[in-house]
Amino acid sequence: MKPGRLLAWGGLAALVWLARGLALPVFLAAVLAYLLSPAVAWADALAIRRSVAVSALFAVIIAVLVVAGFLLGPGMLAEGAALMDRLPALARQIDVGLDAAVRELAESAPALRRLLPEGGDWVQRFVLNRSAGEPGDLFEHMGHLFLLTILVPFFAFFLLRDMHRLIAVAMDRLPPQHVETSVAVWRELNGVIGRYTRGLVLDGLVVGALAALGLWAARVPYPLLLGAFAGLANVVPFVGPLLSAAAAGLVVVLTPGQGLAGVGRVVLLFLVIKVLDDTIIQPFTIGRSVHLHPALLLGSVVVGSHALGVLGMIIAVPVATVLQETARLLLEHRRVLARRDLRHHPERLVI
Amino acid sequence: MLERPLPRWLAWAADPEQLRRAPFLARSPLFTGLPHRLLARLATRFFEKAYRRGEVVFEEGDPGRALFVVVEGSVEITRATVQGAYVLNTLGPGDAFGELALVDDFPRSATARVATPGRLLILYKSDFDTLMDGNPRIAVVVMRNLSRLLAIYARRNPVLVTEPGPRPETAGPS
Repeated sequence: MKPGRLLAWGGLAALVWLARGLALPVFLAAVLAYLLSPAVAWADALAIRRSVAVSALFAVIIAVLVVAGFLLGPGMLAEGAALMDRLPALARQIDVGLDAAVRELAESAPALRRLLPEGGDWVQRFVLNRSAGEPGDLFEHMGHLFLLTILVPFFAFFLLRDMHRLIAVAMDRLPPQHVETSVAVWRELNGVIGRYTRGLVLDGLVVGALAALGLWAARVPYPLLLGAFAGLANVVPFVGPLLSAAAAGLVVVLTPGQGLAGVGRVVLLFLVIKVLDDTIIQPFTIGRSVHLHPALLLGSVVVGSHALGVLGMIIAVPVATVLQETARLLLEHRRVLARRDLRHHPERLVI
Repeated sequence: MLERPLPRWLAWAADPEQLRRAPFLARSPLFTGLPHRLLARLATRFFEKAYRRGEVVFEEGDPGRALFVVVEGSVEITRATVQGAYVLNTLGPGDAFGELALVDDFPRSATARVATPGRLLILYKSDFDTLMDGNPRIAVVVMRNLSRLLAIYARRNPVLVTEPGPRPETAGPS
């Protein structure tokens, strides 16, 4: 490799390393761009300039967010404030329950005593003392959140506006013999990721709305917050629905007058939502975008969680699907080329 | 591209690339007869690439995954025989080739080589399939055009159908 080219690659690698903090905003921007890309494709078909279409789209989104903020914001803020007010009492209640459970376990199985955690008030220490004790942390988190809300739409805007130009530049630099396979791989990946992302978000919205409605009907406190949490958690395969059911169950347990019947209602509600999601909602939203064997699906989620935590669990399924699809296309390409080679050079046939 | 073009006061918002591409495709024998609305949707699915003289677009025996339309320049379609390669056809702007990839999964039956530098539009098979799933009209029109092209090819080359051999003046789909 020429020294100039080596230097350029080295510089690029250093730049990527320095900009690694932008990985999350860029990832979230790509997700947002995938969500909005059908609207941009529709504008393309109407021969509307990309910059005009994307600007108009963002203006519409801002308007929708403002309206949604007016409609749902006060309710969610009120629920959030009420939850924050009750948080010390809730944390104390959970700690009392946990302490009792640990004591009971230690008494019934003394051999386990050394494995059980020492002390108490874990939840109070974790939830209540954290932000008060470390105000710097809180400001840092707020700062990150603020930066994300600015950077994600910013990057998404430019991805939507300029992606076709980047693709055009890449196409002109592709060697002709790789064009068809590259186009095939790009289109398949783009299709899988786009359909999966849009399907997942739509699925989360429907599940969140169903959970909020169901919890409200079952008179469970904080239905909007728990519904929003159920919708968000739904993007994590397998674990998400369990987490949202557990959160709602915990709220019911800590609410006076709900009792075991309330927990039963919540469990039944989340079971019904899960069955509806698997049988009716997902086939319409995510549909045929994922063709993974169930064992591979589970395996990919486990590997994803080990590699990147919750983010890994979320992206595991599309990444595994993309890898499977790419491998299929490349192997097919190789097989056809080998067959052609054999036809042109039959002496290479080895039995 | 709209069925009705954008009003004059909105002309500043029009994308010249898309305005050029849809009418261009309408002139191609493969897409002739498609309404502007469907042509405009089809046009958004194409990639465009510049080719230099002598570059091979695809070779006989390659997996066929895309259709190509000549925008500028010319492309020679050749087939290898024991006597050597012979030119089946030379295609110019508006002509499409590799269209059989839209129909079946067989390898390419001929080689396409750029004769004069130019630009090609590339439509991936799955994109075409997706469009057909959503708009059966596209499938009907394109398949009718394709059948017509194949019929013309078969009538011109009755010997080639039953007895392959070099026929320099003949033309056909690849």
